[in-house]
Amino acid sequence: MQIAVASGKGGTGKTLVSTCLLRILGDKNSVLIDTDVEEPNAGLVLMQPTQKTTSVSRFVPEINPEYCNLCGECAEICNFNALVVLSDKVLLFNELCHSCGACAYLCPQRAIKEIEHPIGVIEEAQLPGYGTLLTGRLNVGEAQSPPLIKAAKSQKAASALRIIDCPPGTTCAMIESIRDSDYCLLVTEPTPFGLHDLELSLEAIEMLNIPGGLVINRWQGEESELTALSDKTGVPILGRIPFSPELARAYMQGRDPLEAMPSLHGILTDIFNQIKGALS
Amino acid sequence: MKEILFISGKGGTGKTSLTSSFIQLADNCVACDYDVDASNLPILLKPQKVSSHDFTAGYTAHIDEESCISCGLCAELCRFDAISDEFQVFPLSCEGCGFCEKICPVQAITMYPRSSGHWAEGMFNQKHKVFFADLRPGEENSGKLVAQVKTMARKRADTEPTPLIIADGPPGIGCAVISSMVEVDLIVLVTEPSLSGFHDLQRVYQLMQLRGIKGMVIINKWDLNPNISQEIENWALNNGLPLAGKIPFSNIIVQSIAQAEIPATNPVIRKMLFPLWENIIEQLTVV
Repeated sequence: MQIAVASGKGGTGKTLVSTCLLRILGDKNSVLIDTDVEEPNAGLVLMQPTQKTTSVSRFVPEINPEYCNLCGECAEICNFNALVVLSDKVLLFNELCHSCGACAYLCPQRAIKEIEHPIGVIEEAQLPGYGTLLTGRLNVGEAQSPPLIKAAKSQKAASALRIIDCPPGTTCAMIESIRDSDYCLLVTEPTPFGLHDLELSLEAIEMLNIPGGLVINRWQGEESELTALSDKTGVPILGRIPFSPELARAYMQGRDPLEAMPSLHGILTDIFNQIKGALS
Repeated sequence: MKEILFISGKGGTGKTSLTSSFIQLADNCVACDYDVDASNLPILLKPQKVSSHDFTAGYTAHIDEESCISCGLCAELCRFDAISDEFQVFPLSCEGCGFCEKICPVQAITMYPRSSGHWAEGMFNQKHKVFFADLRPGEENSGKLVAQVKTMARKRADTEPTPLIIADGPPGIGCAVISSMVEVDLIVLVTEPSLSGFHDLQRVYQLMQLRGIKGMVIINKWDLNPNISQEIENWALNNGLPLAGKIPFSNIIVQSIAQAEIPATNPVIRKMLFPLWENIIEQLTVV
């Protein structure tokens, strides 16, 4: 089973929920994949040493000046304006290239080959008794995260329990993260920001046809707007994590959230049982 | 004209609460929201809409069933798995590269421009211009939409001479953040004293350095974790980043946000944030 934990708004508690879920439910074959590759944080919560680091690359073109006759076809082909043909050479803007491969395939002089351009790494850490953490970490300065997210998600595909700690927002990186999941758990907070961004995330899971449920974090009783949204979309509220300054403080200080709020164990177990029920 | 950008790396550290407050404190500015896929600044500023525009960027492939001979070349060459076994295009996967269109032996594929969202200009407090945008969920091109918002804001600051652009940035360090940094004079890094807040701060700082932009730091909710707050202060000092100030955890700010109000409309918060704003403005004069 693959459960994506997403939110729309940043800082609503995705990493808190995904790491605690894994600790409660995981066995040695489970895996947590941190696909917030721009700012991965699950490792900071689980605090286990990285045992293995794998580099991830994507393809970018390389032009062989010996064969290139500056015909300009490649610049014409590239829909992303990543290639500019000058009077004496071809300029490549790596950050604009989407690695589609069209220029290399279509160059009339066969002057373009594709080479690997490193974009980040996947770090692997063993977790004591509850599986493996895979962290995607984008190199600073790289603009495109989806290829790295895809690579991280392709690992340990056979695990019975896969939890995806997703990036904030609803752009292509979030879509790539939740794609192919059996269920998407949306962590929200009862604020106007949380509500606004949640609506966008709900649109995203609907587009991908992934069943979803809500967790209200920092819950303080008032939830009428979230209930209305849940009723409207048919996406159920699966659980509520009460607002607790003690939990916030403990989490910020790197202490165990399950100790700071013992009821969290029951709340998350109950959420998981509802997900299992919805999927059976 | 100078531009200040508020970013954080980590989401939820208080960028929008603070940016909206400084916009409120500024005498004359153009305000921008570069967090185009989760745009929250307008929720607080409640701008009167002046104009709204479609944003079209990139293309989506379409395969004409009639002409398609099911040769399979397009699906084989597509790097984005955007073409199904039945030769249908998945719009969410299609990156619009047009490779398929160019290699289709029977010209059955056409690229259509893709509407990715919209951007708008509004007016706040009857004097400040506000630029913001909404990227449709699942779209790429967040960087391009940020660039569009920036271009329009800078143009406005030129035509109606305005000394300052104040921008609320997106979380992360990817394309939207990189695009947000273009032509910025000063970056204010809004952080919170947690391990993840500090970690994410350092990554976004590295990006800022790559782009050669000057910065300063605000530690929000510093009293929730004085130890890490002190570590961040030391780190900022060692890296030549001035501290604009530290803000304690405040229930007033929490309540303002719950009511969709700008925190600095409250006199207590206004008084608390004013020295920080003076520090930022002072720093801006030396960059």
